[in-house]
Amino acid sequence: MSEGSVTEAIAVAGAGRRRRAPENWRPLLLLVPAFVLVSLFFLAPLIDVFVRSVTDPQPGLQNYAWLVSTEANIAVVLRTFGTAIAVTAVCLLLAYPYAYLMTIVSDRTRNLMQLFIMMPLWTSILVRTLAWMVLLQDTGPINGLLAAWFGIGPVPLIRTTFGVALGMSQVLLPFMVLPLYSSMAKIDKRLLPAASNLGANPVTAFFTVYLPLSRPGIFSGGVTVFILGLGFYIIPALLGSSKETMISALIQQQISVFLMWGQGTALGVFLLLCTILILVVVSRVNKQGSLFPGVER
Amino acid sequence: MTTLKNPRMRRGLGLLAGTAALALALVGCSGGDDAEPVPERDLGTPVAGEIEEGALAGASLTFAGSGGVFQDGQTEALWDPFAEASGAAFTQDAFDAGKLKAMVDAGNVSWDIVNTTQFDTARGCGTLYEEYDYDQIDTSKIPEGTITDKCMVPQILYGLVVVYNTDAFGDDPPTSAADFFDTEKYPGKRTVSQSTYVDPQTVEFALTAQGKDVAELSVDDIEGAFDMYRGLGDDVIGWTTGAQAQQQLEAGEAVMGLVWSGRGYGAAAAGAPVAPMWDEWMIMVDSNGIPKGVKDKQAAFAAVNYSLGAEQQAKMTELTSYGGVNVDAEPEMDELLTEWMTTEHLDTGISPNVDFWVENYDALAAAWAGWATGS
Repeated sequence: MSEGSVTEAIAVAGAGRRRRAPENWRPLLLLVPAFVLVSLFFLAPLIDVFVRSVTDPQPGLQNYAWLVSTEANIAVVLRTFGTAIAVTAVCLLLAYPYAYLMTIVSDRTRNLMQLFIMMPLWTSILVRTLAWMVLLQDTGPINGLLAAWFGIGPVPLIRTTFGVALGMSQVLLPFMVLPLYSSMAKIDKRLLPAASNLGANPVTAFFTVYLPLSRPGIFSGGVTVFILGLGFYIIPALLGSSKETMISALIQQQISVFLMWGQGTALGVFLLLCTILILVVVSRVNKQGSLFPGVER
Repeated sequence: MTTLKNPRMRRGLGLLAGTAALALALVGCSGGDDAEPVPERDLGTPVAGEIEEGALAGASLTFAGSGGVFQDGQTEALWDPFAEASGAAFTQDAFDAGKLKAMVDAGNVSWDIVNTTQFDTARGCGTLYEEYDYDQIDTSKIPEGTITDKCMVPQILYGLVVVYNTDAFGDDPPTSAADFFDTEKYPGKRTVSQSTYVDPQTVEFALTAQGKDVAELSVDDIEGAFDMYRGLGDDVIGWTTGAQAQQQLEAGEAVMGLVWSGRGYGAAAAGAPVAPMWDEWMIMVDSNGIPKGVKDKQAAFAAVNYSLGAEQQAKMTELTSYGGVNVDAEPEMDELLTEWMTTEHLDTGISPNVDFWVENYDALAAAWAGWATGS
């Protein structure tokens, strides 16, 4: 940009917003420390990862070609997204009534409910996963009870997609409950009686009034859980079998075992691009309000 | 994204971008500060397990091991006594091959001795690992055939062993690799490594069961080995960590497993009714590797040489249950540990074909990736 055009532009802008303009850029200075930190520890490595994916071991797109031409990779990518979607759905189904309950109970009960949600977050994921391993294994207490009471089993629980989804949902549930609760807490409770006054039965009132109003919570919770779910490593490794391997394990293998950093970084970049794409799509849908049929904005 | 119309905002952003660029440049310039070369010392003729008092005063070494009871035992039996005798400072870290590559690529190696596999040192010899100067190491007491490349000195001798449940197969236990795959004669679930970590011995075991000689392998054999495991169908379960293998055996989830000998011993010591099958087992050796570009090679060699002493190796075995690499070592073992000690059964062990796996690593890696991800 030439010096002249800058002065010109300032003059034009200054004419429009005479009073605010001089201070306008100063607040940005507050961002400098954060920006430097993000550049150093996030952007720079990210750029490095991207560059490696197209230069290691030689320049070209061979790592991406490997990614899409290897059957195992495609299977793992599809499985990763499938698992993350399943976990998001499970979390939503469990968290929605829970968060709703939190908005109607007394303060004391709500605090207790919040404690139940937060408490698992204070325990290491590894410890919780080991506990699931004990519970779910073929010789574990759950299968023991099933055998003793119903004479069935052992039902395969560990080393199944079910086991992985269970473990992941337990870890991710708080990330669904909290945004849901915060958006539900803002909903005016009088809207529901108002709807029934106008002739809506409870089901209609829920779907036409309450659900759309709680949508911001569904979206932020859903996106958080989904994206966190994509990157899970320990739980699929311990509660799943090889048939539940997710992308993180594949990346770890390429980086730490095969020392094929080009291929590992290509997987990482691919996962990041997919995530960004999903975020863009979801935010579009969210804004236009067409996710739920019959709701027009 | 909305474009910034206000030029002052733009200038502010320009400032931010400039700061970022400067910060990045600073990061780019740092590192690579060359330390002074270490003077060559006269340590005399090396004798395994010996070092002159205070000979390495002022030196500092870091060992990156595989963690857990194993590394604790090594620290107590090998490295701490070495530090005390030689005067060198000794620290411990956790090994990861990816981290090693990062260090070597960046020219900033902070490990001096690492615990890795004989395949890794063979594969990375000269690029990731330094070649040994065997004149500085007393190799006379090392078991024959355990030095498998120029960048390694053996660290421990262990094995991939079939461990079976004695309650399930008391009178008629499995006695061959083929029995492991015979689900009619030996019904029940088997556990086998499906970790992301590539294990050539797992492949060799399946090929042994097919009657192949591991000394004469061809690339076409590799997929066939994995087909053997896949052929077990629902009867095969995987382990991804040694601890998990042990847990599956202890819980009785698997009646048979192809696991590291130390993990089988761990299950037995915890009271599980398990026993090792020594008729056909796969010998494994871990390497003492010296990372490429290490600052004080001579001190690292001296530490490795010290660790090879009979007394040190005996103590290491007592503490870790892993077989030592000094033929004169006489660890005090109880009956259980003796039963599980690989060094007592070397005559029936099958040595790996290291050269073949180094040469055909890509084919192995691709096949293993498919196996470990369930496709």
